[in-house]
Amino acid sequence: MIDLQGYGPRLLEGAMVTLELALLSLVLAVVLGLLTASAKLSRNRAIHAIGTLYTTLIRGVPDLVLMMLLFYGGQIGINMLTDQLYDAFDIDIFINVDAFIAGVITIGLIFGAYMGETFRGAFQSVEEGQMEAARAYGMSPWLAFRRVRFPLMMRHALPGIGNNWMVLLKTTALVSIIGLTDMVRVAAEATKATHEPFLFMLPVAGIYLLIASLSEWGFAKLSKRYSTGFGEASEWTN
Amino acid sequence: MATTPIPLEARDIKKRFGSHEVLKGLSLEAHKGDVITLIGASGSGKSTFLRCMNLLEQPDEGELIVHNEPIHFRPTKHGREPADWKQVERLRAKLSMVFQNFNLWSHMTLLENVIEAPVHVLKKPRKQAIDEARALLDRVGLLERADYYPTQMSGGQQQRGAIARALAMDPEVMLFDEPTSALDPELVGDVLKVMRGLADEGRTMILVTHEIAFARDVSSQVIYLHQGVIEESGTPAEVLDNPRSERLRQFLAPKH
Repeated sequence: MIDLQGYGPRLLEGAMVTLELALLSLVLAVVLGLLTASAKLSRNRAIHAIGTLYTTLIRGVPDLVLMMLLFYGGQIGINMLTDQLYDAFDIDIFINVDAFIAGVITIGLIFGAYMGETFRGAFQSVEEGQMEAARAYGMSPWLAFRRVRFPLMMRHALPGIGNNWMVLLKTTALVSIIGLTDMVRVAAEATKATHEPFLFMLPVAGIYLLIASLSEWGFAKLSKRYSTGFGEASEWTN
Repeated sequence: MATTPIPLEARDIKKRFGSHEVLKGLSLEAHKGDVITLIGASGSGKSTFLRCMNLLEQPDEGELIVHNEPIHFRPTKHGREPADWKQVERLRAKLSMVFQNFNLWSHMTLLENVIEAPVHVLKKPRKQAIDEARALLDRVGLLERADYYPTQMSGGQQQRGAIARALAMDPEVMLFDEPTSALDPELVGDVLKVMRGLADEGRTMILVTHEIAFARDVSSQVIYLHQGVIEESGTPAEVLDNPRSERLRQFLAPKH
């Protein structure tokens, strides 16, 4: 048995932080991605412009720079806001930017832009006739989205979502820089203290790999589910 | 005084695409049991007119009255839009459309296609919807295909399935948009047979088609459109057998 020199429980806690961070960021990214795709397909010019500005900005700036901007810049911004509240209304509050929340928001924002591109392509791949039939049969926009557009677009979106998820998972390692104790940070501290990089970094690499493999399996299952009615998955033998 | 509600009335419908006026004031009244056929060359506006009736296209001017209930519009910067989309959704559910390209939902089996709107739009109990759907599929000769996906069926089967989907709504009016135009010639007959059965049982139908012989057989009224205007309208005997205009004579003349 490998002796993790007492760092085992902390490493496990760090792994949980990584996983929670990644999953919450994914949820935010998917929501932002759907909104962005809708915005970029909107005929309203202002909404379209906002969508384009967002994706251009996010995709053109390094993730690490964005994260630091949001974490430190966000704190300064909030401080300025609370100072003004104090000056103007004598309201005294102090909001501390939580590293975990900052991490989720940053990663969610970054990957929302990438998801937006994935979803945009997937939205467009749904034949107009499918949505027309939904409308013609009295479906509300939300019902038509839920019952027709979403399940149809997922077939096209899933490979892209899968890719983005893998990259997102690895991007979470950046949060160790803004002081969040994910498993990378625990391993880095342990390495510094013990001078045994392999002992700690190899298990960390292994955990990432494990999550990634499980994800691939999950995405393959989802992919099969969303391709019912199309091609191979629906081939019938009478 | 109580009068029987008229299933569908369109009054003076006008529609522009950009600067091109495709419908120049078209009216139509579908009474219970009417089978109204719209004919005309491509570009005459017949499909657009049909699509205006359930607001898949927004008419720029004119009134639509479904089952004696007028659809409300409100002015916008560029013209107008329906004032109450909930009303539009409710009335659309009374006007089932059958499309040229079938448009069965490709991620659902045939049975799921047929129960989808009854369950989610009309809020029918699922069990009841399934029983009714199976009866309808039996009627169009597709009961053994209930668990097939659209891609596993021929065009003719898909279109008969789409008719079952339309019937499951128990609609006031059925709208058919060139239902046989995308079919191989040998598959047209089965679809027309199903449609003839609907006409015989007194379904109110509005139909855009190129099948003149079929139109002569089943229609109570035939409307000939040319460049967004009704050129001739009347019984099949009046319009198809005794066309008044040279243009309609040429349109009806054998092409080969």
